[in-house]
Amino acid sequence: MPTPTAGPLAALAVLGRFSTFAGTVAWRGLRRPWFFSEVLSHMWVTSVRCLLPVVAVTLPFGMVISLQGLEIFRLFGAERLLSSLVSVAVLRELSPMLASVLVAAQGGSSVAAELGAMRIKEELDATEVMAVDSIKYHVVPRVLALTLVCPLLNVAGSVAGLTGAWFTAVVLKGESSGVFLAGLWDLTAPIDVGAGVLKTIIFGAVIGLVAAWHGFHVKGGAAGVGRAVNDTVVHSVLVFIVFNYFITSALFGAAST
Amino acid sequence: MNALGNYALFVWDFFGALRRHGVPSSRIVAEAYAIGIRSLPILLIISAFVGTNLALQGYNAFKPLGGQRLVGMFVALAGVRELAPTIAAAMVAAKAGTEMASQIAVMRLREQIDALEVMAVNPLAWLVAPRLFGILLVMPALTIIAIFTMTSSAYAVAVFQLGLNGQTFMAFAAEGVDQIDFFYGVVKALLFGVIICTVSCWYGFRAGKGPEGVGRATNGAVVTAAVACVCLNYFVSELLYGGSLP
Repeated sequence: MPTPTAGPLAALAVLGRFSTFAGTVAWRGLRRPWFFSEVLSHMWVTSVRCLLPVVAVTLPFGMVISLQGLEIFRLFGAERLLSSLVSVAVLRELSPMLASVLVAAQGGSSVAAELGAMRIKEELDATEVMAVDSIKYHVVPRVLALTLVCPLLNVAGSVAGLTGAWFTAVVLKGESSGVFLAGLWDLTAPIDVGAGVLKTIIFGAVIGLVAAWHGFHVKGGAAGVGRAVNDTVVHSVLVFIVFNYFITSALFGAAST
Repeated sequence: MNALGNYALFVWDFFGALRRHGVPSSRIVAEAYAIGIRSLPILLIISAFVGTNLALQGYNAFKPLGGQRLVGMFVALAGVRELAPTIAAAMVAAKAGTEMASQIAVMRLREQIDALEVMAVNPLAWLVAPRLFGILLVMPALTIIAIFTMTSSAYAVAVFQLGLNGQTFMAFAAEGVDQIDFFYGVVKALLFGVIICTVSCWYGFRAGKGPEGVGRATNGAVVTAAVACVCLNYFVSELLYGGSLP
């Protein structure tokens, strides 16, 4: 049967090809030989590249939440609740989401760009000619690195977000630092950090697979690489935001009880 | 630091070129249409899901305090003032911004930009200006659409999934925001539009050679534009809502 080229069936066909690719990556990743040093070096590169953007986004976001939150709570005279709500927002939602968006924009797109450039320059074919499995050597370590780095960056993002919120509340707006720190864990528990880490592991895997898929299947020269990078960012953000709703619903969304 | 100076020079050159050569006005609408239409579907989906999460998390955060009714206010405040403008900016950066960067980088690679200069067409005025004015046209509209989508999806989750009262939700939402907040949203949108366009085009113009150059330019454009927008957002919010304005 010919592959459909337009309409909903084509979208389904793309989804099917993506799933096949993801399955291949997972299956080959599970079998020897494993390239641990490749994984480590990709993890190092990705975390170094992403750390600054992640912190540079979560810090101002924490500051903004603190700013807006203070304004609401001052209406009720309940400024002491600020830090509890900030920590809920940062640990459960903002940090996992923003860290993953930035990992998609920085780490995911550079994976797509690297793999795409290797495809265009026929380096991937050269790897295959040398009897090295290109998925195993080039794709699996990158996907694995993104999956492992995303939660680490989420933790960094949480710390940065809370620091930003503390800075605005205490240093700029003159709230009491002791009250802020005392209320920090009122509504959250370390399990919330765990939930954020769990989410970001899933998001990291999604980013890695989408990026590798787009990079691995680049067509059409340098312009194709640009398009792959673009599609990587858009599609991976799209997929994990949709995932995020269901994960959040599953974890916290128990209806009005 | 070097890069920052480089960027400032680029923007300076651009405004110089704009003054001397004018804007190819016939292409503004086409660019605006392209930017708006390409960014719209993803923006709709993302802001709908951000809205659902806002409602879920607001509900959970206020539940221990017995203030579930405040969800409407929380959604309206967080969504309208901060999240909608930032999400719209991030999505336009991810979709339209990366496209600008990769298009211009490919033109640089194929020496089409040199060809423009040979034809005595200023590439900055010809390529960047229509994109800038196009993005300025559509960003406010996209932000308002994001606000609307976010609030509607939050309403849907609050009422149908969490079983809150719809009228209470709307009443508290209306209490949380003013008309002026929408205006501030538009101001933010315009600022972010300028940043996204100039940063993306700058990355496109200084792209390195070959496919990696294009990839790296696209990559750098989206990250830098998004980070710059979020950082700027803090200062704008501080200025608009931080009590420094009457």
